[in-house]
Formats: sequence, C-alpha cells, structure tokens
Amino acid sequence: MERLKIYLFFLILLSAFQSVAQQKFTISGYFKDAKTGENLIGATLTIKELQGKGTGTNAYGFYSITLPTGQYQITGQFVGYAPQILQINLNRPLKQNFALTEQVNTLGEVEVSGQRKNENVSRMTMGMQKLNTSEIKNIPVLFGENDVLKTIQLLPGIKPAGEGSSGFNVRGGSTDQNLILLDEATVFNASHLMGFFSVFNSDAIKDITVYKGNEPAEYGGRLSSVLDIKMNDGNDQKMKIAGGLGLISSRINVEGPIIKGKGSYMITARRTYADLFLKLSSDSDRNQTKLYFYDLNAKASYRLNSNNRVYLSGYFGKDLIALKNTFGINWGNISGTLRWNHLFSDRLFSNTSLIFSNYDYKIFINNGNKLNIISRIQDYGIKQDLQYFIQANSTLKFGFNSIYHKIIPGVITADSNIDLKKLTNKYDWENSVYLSHQYRINDKIKIEYGSRLTLFSTLGPGDIYTYDPNGRITSVTAYRSGQFVKNYLNAEPRVTVDYLISQESSIKLSLSRNIQNLHLLSNSTSGNPTDLWIPSSNIVKPELSDQFSFGYYRNFDNDRYEFSAETYYKNLINQIDYKNGAELMFNENVESQILFGRGRAYGLELFLKKKQGRFNGWISYTLSRSERKFDAINSGNYFPAKQDRTHDLSLVGIYELSKSWTLSATWVYYTGNAVTFPTGKYSIDGKTMFYYSDRNADRMPAYHRLDLGATWINKKNSSFESSWNFSLYNAYGHENAYMITFRDSKSDPTRTESVQTTLFKMIPSVTYNFKF
Amino acid sequence: MRRSYPFFFKICKDCTSVKTSPVFRILGGTVATVAMILIFGSCEKVIHLDLKNSTPKIVIQGNIYDQLGPYIVKISNSVNFEASSNYPPVSGANVTISDNTGQNEVLKEPTAGTYITSKLRGVPGRTYTLSVKIGNQNYLSAATMPPAVAIDSIYFSSSLFSGEMITTVRLLDPPFIANYYRLVYFINRVQQKAFYVLDDELFQGATIRYALLSRGNNIKLVKGDQVTVWLESIDHGVFEYFRTAGSDGGESASPANPVSNISNGALGYFNACAVRKITTTVSQ
Repeated sequence: MERLKIYLFFLILLSAFQSVAQQKFTISGYFKDAKTGENLIGATLTIKELQGKGTGTNAYGFYSITLPTGQYQITGQFVGYAPQILQINLNRPLKQNFALTEQVNTLGEVEVSGQRKNENVSRMTMGMQKLNTSEIKNIPVLFGENDVLKTIQLLPGIKPAGEGSSGFNVRGGSTDQNLILLDEATVFNASHLMGFFSVFNSDAIKDITVYKGNEPAEYGGRLSSVLDIKMNDGNDQKMKIAGGLGLISSRINVEGPIIKGKGSYMITARRTYADLFLKLSSDSDRNQTKLYFYDLNAKASYRLNSNNRVYLSGYFGKDLIALKNTFGINWGNISGTLRWNHLFSDRLFSNTSLIFSNYDYKIFINNGNKLNIISRIQDYGIKQDLQYFIQANSTLKFGFNSIYHKIIPGVITADSNIDLKKLTNKYDWENSVYLSHQYRINDKIKIEYGSRLTLFSTLGPGDIYTYDPNGRITSVTAYRSGQFVKNYLNAEPRVTVDYLISQESSIKLSLSRNIQNLHLLSNSTSGNPTDLWIPSSNIVKPELSDQFSFGYYRNFDNDRYEFSAETYYKNLINQIDYKNGAELMFNENVESQILFGRGRAYGLELFLKKKQGRFNGWISYTLSRSERKFDAINSGNYFPAKQDRTHDLSLVGIYELSKSWTLSATWVYYTGNAVTFPTGKYSIDGKTMFYYSDRNADRMPAYHRLDLGATWINKKNSSFESSWNFSLYNAYGHENAYMITFRDSKSDPTRTESVQTTLFKMIPSVTYNFKF
Repeated sequence: MRRSYPFFFKICKDCTSVKTSPVFRILGGTVATVAMILIFGSCEKVIHLDLKNSTPKIVIQGNIYDQLGPYIVKISNSVNFEASSNYPPVSGANVTISDNTGQNEVLKEPTAGTYITSKLRGVPGRTYTLSVKIGNQNYLSAATMPPAVAIDSIYFSSSLFSGEMITTVRLLDPPFIANYYRLVYFINRVQQKAFYVLDDELFQGATIRYALLSRGNNIKLVKGDQVTVWLESIDHGVFEYFRTAGSDGGESASPANPVSNISNGALGYFNACAVRKITTTVSQ
C-alpha cells in the first residue's frame, strides 16, 4: 500500500512535470445522439495524428483527453452511428461535443460500422461483455419479451440457472454472487413470475455491461460478476411514444423533453395479463386466480449548465399471485437514484449518487386462521465517483461508497395485528473506498491496477448468538442500537495487463479479489421470492474469491470476425451450504443451519462473433468445472457444485433477409446440473423413503433447445414505425427435464420409478411493436 | 406421457413441510413451477435412469406408547432403487429397551425382523433408551415421552385450494411448554402415507387447527368414510425426524436423509409418545 502511494505520487508529479515541459491542452465534452439527445456510453474518440491514442466516453457520455498543442483530425464514433470527423487547432482548452446520427440501417451493415473496430482486442478490461439493446432485439425469446438477462446467458461463462430462469451462474458461482445494478441501485431479485421474465424492460434500457469477476475497482459487493444496467435518459428533442402488444404482456414507453435540449424524461410501463386466460377457464380454481406482474421505469435528467447535470431515476415492480382470497403472495423491487454530474475542471469528472433500494415480499393466507407475513431488505447509499483524466495515457478513478443495509427477515402477524413471530432485524453498514489507475505504458502495453477497501460493520440492536457444532446456542449477547457487533475490513486488489501483439491480436492477464458480505439463503433448485438475504456476522464470514484469468483476443478478416479465448481459475473461501434438513424459513437461529467451506472453479471460454454482414451472430462455448468442499458433506472431499456444467454451447444467428424481414435462431446445449439422486430405498410406516449417498454425484440429462424468431418491419417512415415479432421457443419440442422426482410406480406398487417433468414444449408467440 | 395440471393444493401435497403449518408448506414448495404450469401445463413422463447402488443400510422403526403393549421395533435393510420394494427383515438382533427408572426388557422376535415387548409399560415423563446390537454393530437411541394432549374435535370442510373434503383436527395446546405433535391419519382403517408433524411455536397455549391435506395418494373422502386420527405427543428428536423426512426429494437442491435420532448411521426413528385417538364418520 505504502509503495503504491509513492508510485502514485511520482506519477502525478511526472505528469505535472511533463505538462510544464510541453504545452498541453484538454479537449473534453459529451457524446450524444443527435436525434434524441441520449448520452452515448462507450463512444470513442480517435486522433489521426496520434495512432493508438484516443479515449472513450464514460457512463454519462463524457470524455476528456489532454494532448500537446497542435493541429489534429479527431473522429468521434459509436456503434451504429455515422462517425463525425473534425479538424481542430488545439492551442487552448477546448469543449467539443459530438452529436452523432444513427445510421440508416442499410442492408448488410447491421452494426459496428462505428465503434473502434478492434475494440475487443484493444480494450482494457477482460472477462467483460457489452450489449446494447439494439443488438438483442432480434434474438428470439420466450413469450416474445426481449430480455437482457436471457440474452447474456448466451455468452460464454454465463449460464442459466434453469429452464426459463432469469437467475444465472457466472464462472461457477451461485446466483446470489451476481451484483445486479439498475442505474447504480442494487436489484435484490431480478425475477418476475418466478424467473420466466426478468425485471428489466428492454424498452427502458440503454446499455448492459457484464463483468465476470474482473470488474474495475469502482464495483464491489459480489463474488462472481457485476451486471451493470443503465436506463435510457429520455429524448430531449421530441416527444416519442413506443410500445408493444404481446400475447401475455404489453408495454408502453413515453419520452420527451422537459425543456428542449436541456432536460428529458422517460416513463416505461409493462404489465402481463396471463391471468386473463385463466378467467376463460371453466374451472373455478383457475378462473379466480390472479397471476400477473407489472413494472414501471422512470427517469428524468436536466442540464443545469455546462458543468452540472442531474438525473433522477426510479424503478417500481410488483408480482402478484393470489388464489380466491385465501392465499396470496406479492413481491417486488423499488429503487431510486438521484445523481449529480459535476465537472470540477475539464479533466476532473465527478458523479455523486444517492441510492435507495428495497425488496420485499408479503404473503397473506386465510385458512381459518388469517396470517400475514412480511419480509424486506433495504439499502440506503451514497456513492461518490471521481475520474481524473491526467493525460492521454493515464486516467485515475477514485471514490467512496457507503451503504446502510436494513434487513427485516420476517414478521408474521395475525389478522388482529398481533405479532405471532418476529425475527430480529439486521442492521449493517458497508463502507468502501477505491482507487484505480489506467495507464498506457507504451503502444503495446496497458495496465489497470487498483484496489477497493471495504469495511463491513454489523450493528445492533439485537441478540447475537454463538452456536456449538450441533447448532445449539452456547451464548447470547444483547447489543444496543448503533453498537458495533462485528467489523470486517478487506482489501480487494485488482490488476489487468493488456499486451497488444498486433492491431489484430492481444493477450490479457488479470488478477482480482472480490468480497461478498450479503448472502442469499436458497436451497431450492429454482430460487423462490422468499429466499432470505443474510449479512456477514459473528458467525457468517465474508465470502472471498481470488480469480486469475488469462485471455487471447484475435480479430480476423478486417475485424469482421472477433475471437476470444479466456481461461480462469478461481479460489473461493467461506462458501455457504446447509446442514441436512436445514430449517431456513422463519428461523431466528438460521445461522446455526449453515455450513462453511471452500470452493474452486476453472474453465475455458471460447467466443467467435461475426459482427457485420447480412448474416451475423456468435458461437460461444464454455468448458468448466465448479467444485465445493465442506467438512460435513461427502466426507470433506471436493464435490461438484450444483451449477457445475462441463459443456455449455450457444449458437446465435441473425439473418437480414430483406429490409423488412430479419430471421434469427439460437441453439443452446449444456450438460445437466449436478444433482443428488437416490441410491436406495426403504420403508417407514408404509411410506417409501429414498436413501441418498453422496451429494451431487449424479447429473440431470443434457439440455438442448432451438428457438426461432422473425421480425417483420411492416411500416417505417420518419413519423411512424411498426413491426411484428414472431418467435417459437423450443422449436423442435425437445422434452428437457425441469425436474426429476421419484415415486412408487403407479402400475406396480412393488416398484419405484423416476418421473421427469418438462415445462415448455414449443411456445409460439407474437408481439406487435410500434413507435411514433 | 400425460398432461398434468397441478395446482396450489398440489404444493401442499407434494413438497411437504418446510415448516409444518400450512403457510409454510406453501412457501416451501414450488410456487415457481406452479405459476407457469398453471398457464401452460407441463408434461410428466416416466423415464429410466441408471441410478447408483448403495450397500444395504439398517432401518429401525420403534414406537412406545402410553398404552398397553406390546410395543414393536421393526428392523430391516434398505435395497437398491431398481429392486422390488420388499425390504429384507434383519433377524437375530439383540434388542433392548430400558427406561430411566430401571425398567429393562430384551425384546422377542416372533417373526423375522419384528421385535416385541411383553411387560414394558410406557409412562409419560420417562426417557426410554433403545439398544440394538446386530453383529458387532451397536445402534442407540433415546426418546422422552411427553404428557398426553387431547384432541378437542375433528371436522370436515371443503378445501380452500381444491374444493375437496378435508379433515381438520382441533386441539388445545398446553401453555408455557414447547410441544411437538405427530398426527397419524387413517381413512377406513388404512394409514395414509404422509407425515404430519407440527409444533406450537406460533400457537403457544392456543387452539390449533391442523388440516390433514391428502398427500401421497388421491384418495377422496366421501360420505360414510370412517376417519381415525391419532395425536401423538412427541419429543423434539422425533419431531426433527419427521420434519426432515417430510421434505425429501422434490425441489430441494440437495435432498438428504432425514435427521435420525438413532446413532451409528441407522435409518429410521425411535419414538416414545403419549397418544390420543379419535374416530368419526364423514356425515356430509
């Protein structure tokens, strides 16, 4: 740490010295869409005279680059947009905004005509994938709902947690080890309708970036990945309405200027009406059932002046399942972010965010006794990020983040409002500071290094227990409100080195440590909305992961094809599993039900993408292993984690048949999850009982599925645009096993049989989309 | 291949109790599956899997009641999944039951694998120890017999979930102490193959209504059926056994063997309970 400080001191000194030696000036500004005013994230600026030097825009579309005095030809570029070329005479600080125009979609130039062509090879980060919503809109999906969480599962190293699930496993991690951010607010449960839809309405989304454990130091909190989703800012030029009508859901999006060119708003709403079909049923069980979700995304932004801009964004979503007023459950996320962008100078960019996030579920039951259950997790946070563009080859990022977590694990009340049971609330305070430096040493080598330092504090009030190995309470200590119970201080050093072999190829190497202080207790195969988040405590230690990864990147055929091969090895500490027969629900002493162990995961990820042409798409293949080791399971030997899948293959193809027709197909194949099947049976009181030996010693059958899609643009002019989207999920109707259960044979009571349940066989859907 | 449309009550039937009150039974289940199956249906089919084998395990099942004996301890072996469900009895074991007042009895084996007492008498408050010696292996268990709790009444009503007739048991929980119950359910003298256990955590000293949702078979109650319910007051160890036995397989990501109160890796349970019974005829 000390050494790092000295190094940084010299570095800053050096840059100061250089600026004295040679007169330098800064060009800075924003990139935006000329038509909508939407900020362009990750747009690039290149300088013809200085090959290899250039910069990109940050999450708010801002760029800054400091260059020696001179005449330059600069080019601003962004995916799918016409580049803008400017001649500049740099002899004083220059503000230069770029307003790029979206390219008319001429056949054969689907995308990437803008973006720096060898982006894949030359960008700093590895283990990262970026998608923009225009890229995913043609990919066929279940029920015709474009879904970013489903699309990222087609990328290497990211695997679906189950059929139709929006839960995903990254590089052998569990589903709760993914940090999902929507405009910086944590999304605790990204599933609608049990995961068949995600909470992200793609109409509201601008940009999706996923980091597979090598995230930059400004991110932290989960072991396996960060999924950073950014919402649209809204059109600041003209009011626009867009929407879609589908078989089971519809959505509408309204956006427009608050003050033209200065401020904008965006509101997107969506609701499913699956239960309307149930109403048609003659069966009274079904036609009195409620089953739907809705969500609302809203955002407003306003530019106060050239140095200050504010954003307010919010998400509100709810799922409801109810049956004849006798049983019901609803759950949902609410989040809000207030952000202030401020330019201290043309080289120092600041963003300050106030963040609120809430997830809760409520259950009511009227079965003679009326009961209500409620559980909730809330985050209140403040985040300060600073970006200092020292010079063209050197950028410093630093900041802090402070989050107050409040968890209400569960309260059960009777209809008379009497608390039947109330679990102790948990209060935690998570404080982090980070610093990272991106530095281009020469034309070949770039390095990004930094660290995050996190202090996680468990606070009172509450009774803190200790347990013996059998889970019996050995002591209870009462803590007062605000009293510190336990503190964990952890550093998360991260470094990535990028070596450019040529303009077409590079190798990258990365080391990173991640810490996780919130843990989801879930022992079901699919994940339930009632799964409980618990914080690190005197019993539960922070989860820790060290990842080493190495990658080779190569572009072919004038950057038309992009190839990458990445390998990784992860060492995991303080992993969580459960005792046999663990009672995870409404248990004050739930920590006594947990086992702690370690894990390892390693794999190879291959990715080949064709970026241009009428036919484009990708092949993604992952060979991997993920194992865990617990003293109390399988005699303390390593065993496959349930998400362990040896092979995982995805093919995605999109073909632009004509200006109005686009066809697409995806095919996925993966090895079945590791599961525990019975190895014997016996009888207790006449009931057949199954005997289990080793944990996860068996495999589900391999999974494969073909989806087909077609988009027909039936009208497109400057004032109105409409299209039809057709899709067929599981086109050849393969009966994939959703679950396998065991029971007495119905035909021969002296035998037992295995029963496979299949969820979806050929689900067709059609959606009508419009925009005016 | 058949189409099946499970419904909410099916959650209660199949996924069995995470906790034992009906609320928790629903939560513990596969709400996910049900929600979608509700709309689109799903397919179930019998498949063949090459399941691994296991060496036979000792299975012990013994009950002592606060009623006249004889009490029975059954010992058998487990078999492989593919085998016929006839479980080989284990003969020639040395089976002893003793209590904390010095009563002690070696059980006789009139038929293979079935061991019975002749003079032992179960008394609430006493702790019973079962000792089983098979070859050079010893299996031990202890259970304490709690005081009896009476059944207040049973009644029949239409299920809120399925519309089927269900039996509900009403009892008054004794205040101040933790009580654990097991219910044994007979329809026309046939014991239902489901485990029903509950505790009084949410209902300390209150009237408890417990609905015996049919599980494990599709027997429907009709007018004239004879229903018998036993209410066993059990100790915590036995409760844990049946609680965890109820949640085997299904949606659990890591199905495991129930937590037995018998030592040395034996499967099964040893129960000392005070039991009260009620029999009635469905009149509706």
